[in-house]
Amino acid sequence: MTPTNNPSSKKTDVLQGTLALMVLKTLDVLGPLHGYGLARRIEQISGDLLAVNQGTLYPVLLKLEQEGAIESEWGASENNRRARFYNLTKAGRKALQSETQDWQQTAAIISRFFEIKSEDLP
Amino acid sequence: MSLTRNIRRFFNRLFNSGSRTIDTRTDRESRLREEIAEHVALQTEDNIRAGLDPIEARRRAMLKFGGVESMKEDYRDECAFPWLEHLLQDIRFALRMLYKNPGFTVVAVVTLALGIGANAAIFSVVRGVLLRPLVNRDEARLLYLCQSDTYTTDVNFSVPEIDDLSADLKSIQAVGTLSPLDFTVVGLGDARTLTAGVVDGAYFDVVGLRSVLGRLIGPGDDGPNAAGVAVLTYKFWSTTLHSDPSVIGKTIRLGSYNGTRSATVIGVLQPSVPYPVETEIIANIVTSPHHLSATMVTSRVHRMTEVFARLAPGATLESARAELATTYAAMRNAHPEVYKPNDGFRFTVTRIHDQINSRANTVLWVLLAASGLLFLIACSNVANLFLARTVRREPELALRSALGATSGALRRSLLAEAIVLCGAGLLAGVIIAAPMVGVLSRYASRFSVRAADLALDSSMLWIGVALAFVATIFLAFIPRLPNTNTSHAFAVSSSGSRVTPSSRRRLRVFAVTQIAACFLLLAGAGALLRALFVLENSQAPFDTARVLAVNLPVMTDGRTPEQITSFYRDVRRRVASFPGVESVSGAMFVPWRDTINFADLHMQFAVDGAPKEDGKEDPRARFRFILPNYFSTMGMPFLEGRDFNDNDRAGSERVVIISEALAKQLFPGQDPLNHKLHWTDPILKSSSMSPESRRIVGVVPDFDDTGIIPDPSMTIYQPSDQEGLSGRLFVRAKGDPYALMPILTSEIHHMSDNQPVERASTLRDVRAEVMAPDRLNAIVFGGFASLALLISIVGVAGVLAFSVSGRLHEFGIRLALGASPRNILSGVLSEGFVIALIGVTVGTAAGFALARVIAKYTVELQIPGATPLIISAALILAAALIASAIPAIRAASVDAARALRAE
Repeated sequence: MTPTNNPSSKKTDVLQGTLALMVLKTLDVLGPLHGYGLARRIEQISGDLLAVNQGTLYPVLLKLEQEGAIESEWGASENNRRARFYNLTKAGRKALQSETQDWQQTAAIISRFFEIKSEDLP
Repeated sequence: MSLTRNIRRFFNRLFNSGSRTIDTRTDRESRLREEIAEHVALQTEDNIRAGLDPIEARRRAMLKFGGVESMKEDYRDECAFPWLEHLLQDIRFALRMLYKNPGFTVVAVVTLALGIGANAAIFSVVRGVLLRPLVNRDEARLLYLCQSDTYTTDVNFSVPEIDDLSADLKSIQAVGTLSPLDFTVVGLGDARTLTAGVVDGAYFDVVGLRSVLGRLIGPGDDGPNAAGVAVLTYKFWSTTLHSDPSVIGKTIRLGSYNGTRSATVIGVLQPSVPYPVETEIIANIVTSPHHLSATMVTSRVHRMTEVFARLAPGATLESARAELATTYAAMRNAHPEVYKPNDGFRFTVTRIHDQINSRANTVLWVLLAASGLLFLIACSNVANLFLARTVRREPELALRSALGATSGALRRSLLAEAIVLCGAGLLAGVIIAAPMVGVLSRYASRFSVRAADLALDSSMLWIGVALAFVATIFLAFIPRLPNTNTSHAFAVSSSGSRVTPSSRRRLRVFAVTQIAACFLLLAGAGALLRALFVLENSQAPFDTARVLAVNLPVMTDGRTPEQITSFYRDVRRRVASFPGVESVSGAMFVPWRDTINFADLHMQFAVDGAPKEDGKEDPRARFRFILPNYFSTMGMPFLEGRDFNDNDRAGSERVVIISEALAKQLFPGQDPLNHKLHWTDPILKSSSMSPESRRIVGVVPDFDDTGIIPDPSMTIYQPSDQEGLSGRLFVRAKGDPYALMPILTSEIHHMSDNQPVERASTLRDVRAEVMAPDRLNAIVFGGFASLALLISIVGVAGVLAFSVSGRLHEFGIRLALGASPRNILSGVLSEGFVIALIGVTVGTAAGFALARVIAKYTVELQIPGATPLIISAALILAAALIASAIPAIRAASVDAARALRAE
């Protein structure tokens, strides 16, 4: 019997949400990439988010693929081995746009809250 | 996440086709493996390029990738429905567990099957008979008008009444009429009597029916000069005439009591519910000379016609009721001599649907309630067994929870077992429901013509599924889960099952519920059985088994009244000469069978010379036309005077025979013979009966030929030959009356080849036929009650067996401390007895409360008398004692040493 919900699931959900958005943005900017390539780019940009547990990327990729935001096909990697390449779909691009907007709005609100000092309030 | 994306993800998961390349589970697994390998390989190469040695480079790459197995787990969860897969896994496990416990499984499945099957079957019947719409166009706008008085619930309407009622109505679009009667039909196969109706031209349009062949009767067929036309009903056409289309255009002869007319068959009616009589043929009014006669058209009290009405567009039932009530009241006020206050004339308007259902309504809803109780009992019983099993499995469940199973997972495994049990119960239930529908619809056809064309449909299956679903939820969520505290769990698992007080309380509650519901059913069945017992025990005043009744309908076609009289006289003489015949007579009614027409009509009469008291109504009596030898053929003695004889014929002195009740009531202490009486009833004006005085020539014992339980009422017998009709032949046989039939039929056909000889039956069989609904009632409810009793016994035995097995340790200690086995035996027995006692008490209280609630909404239910209640209670208590005996014996025979060592 496998427990379906463990205590860390909530944290994972948050992580997965951000990760999914990063995947979409990376694919939008750089075009088709394989899993390792995505992991490396995200690591480069985000620092330690994917420094460990790079494997968590793959369930996120499958989820995005099942949502129809990305598609995948086999191709050749830099050293001419078979690798799975992921590409953004039209629906994925639209989802990215709307979520970027949402994210920016949320971020703006949150940052405004963080800037508040007690003397600013009447 | 947006909704559409979630939905898309759901379907992709469902069909596992997120991309065209992902097809099967193994494909996905191998793809993931390949991707992981490639990922690690690329990372290793990067690390080597950064200057690490190959082994360290690979180690770091693996570290960076993270836990592969937990990632794979997440990945798989993403692929499909983990919950569903786990449930399927649990169901496989449940199947294995149940297979290992065949006793529990069989009892649970059979119990559920009975509960589900009975309910599905009865609901199908309720739906088919009560809820299904009629085929009539806009059936909700079709109304039935009904007039009743103190003596009869439905007295029909006379032509003047219909004219008054249907004039200038705003809320009613049109009124159609049908007068039920019997036609003796020549020309459709053998000559036979058919249940018929004569209708006006508006009738078919008002009731909203179509023809399947030819045309129906329309306004053009009204009036005394129209040609005779007839429409066949679908059932008669398709069964008796084998759907012969060439019948259209045929000319037939229709004989009724005032003569015979020709008619052309013009059409076949679509299949529909006949009401109020099961008509086989419907003709226009011109085919019945009586319906054109002056008495019919002008007499306000000559009521022979049923009235149907269709609501006008925009009108409601309430507005029609109000308008018709006003019209009816105005008519009553205009004719106070007809509508006397004492006669209690009432007028009602109902939807035809409700009118047709009125008889079946109560019976079927009560039956549905009974089966609902059975379902409750079955569910309680299975819940009991299930709960007991769960408690016994507590160590196992606790162990699983200690090993990391969440409460959701444990609940899911219970749900899996419940699904398996209820699924099997559903399957078996549907299998037994199909034949039950057949039996029930035959039963229901006694109350409603609609039961005849009942068909099995998918609704029964859906009801079964719904019930199984309810039962599943009930079973899966009632047992309390074990405490998830690990140390407690291990303590439990090492020391065998300990029954928690709350589980035990729940078990008891279910057992009490079962007993209470079972008691209600038993008490109901007991009341019905007693009613049947009273009927079976009521004796006819003579030996009914040897009297054969045969219908010989009067054939008026081309015969004078004298010829008809002499035909019946000849028949009697010839049949009397058969070997084995003791006596022959005739009459107008077959006792207990021909109770539909005016057998129950009580007419007013007066004794000649008796002073007329002011404000007091004349007495009323039934009237019967009989032929000579009627009482000797039935086997009844004369108390005084003489029988009729062949000289009491038309033109001779009018004579009557009276019943004992009449003699006692009107001639107390004097000899009634040779007194004279005469009819005074207003209905006489419109009948062929004469108001002349009649001399009393005989007195006979009271004989109620309308009810099985005799209700002595005043009856006046008149000789058929003098004035009146015959049509029924009675033969008293020395041996088997049915053995006379072949020779009797051939003899009568020899005398007149068109003469129908119908419905031969001994009077004993007539009585049995009349009692059949009561017998069926008792059988159906008795069957329900015994099923319920059986299930409840299993339930009580289960509870006690469980309670005993949980207390073996306690019994061991008590025995070791010197308690006698007898003490323990009686302790367990009394535990069972107390459960049953509480159940009976609760059942009684619930029964009375229920009866009060039902009485508020529909009809007054008869509370069964004390005897059935006491017998049911005794039966349940005895059953509970028997059910407790087995666990009690087991408790008393506990080996103290072994029970203690078990700790």
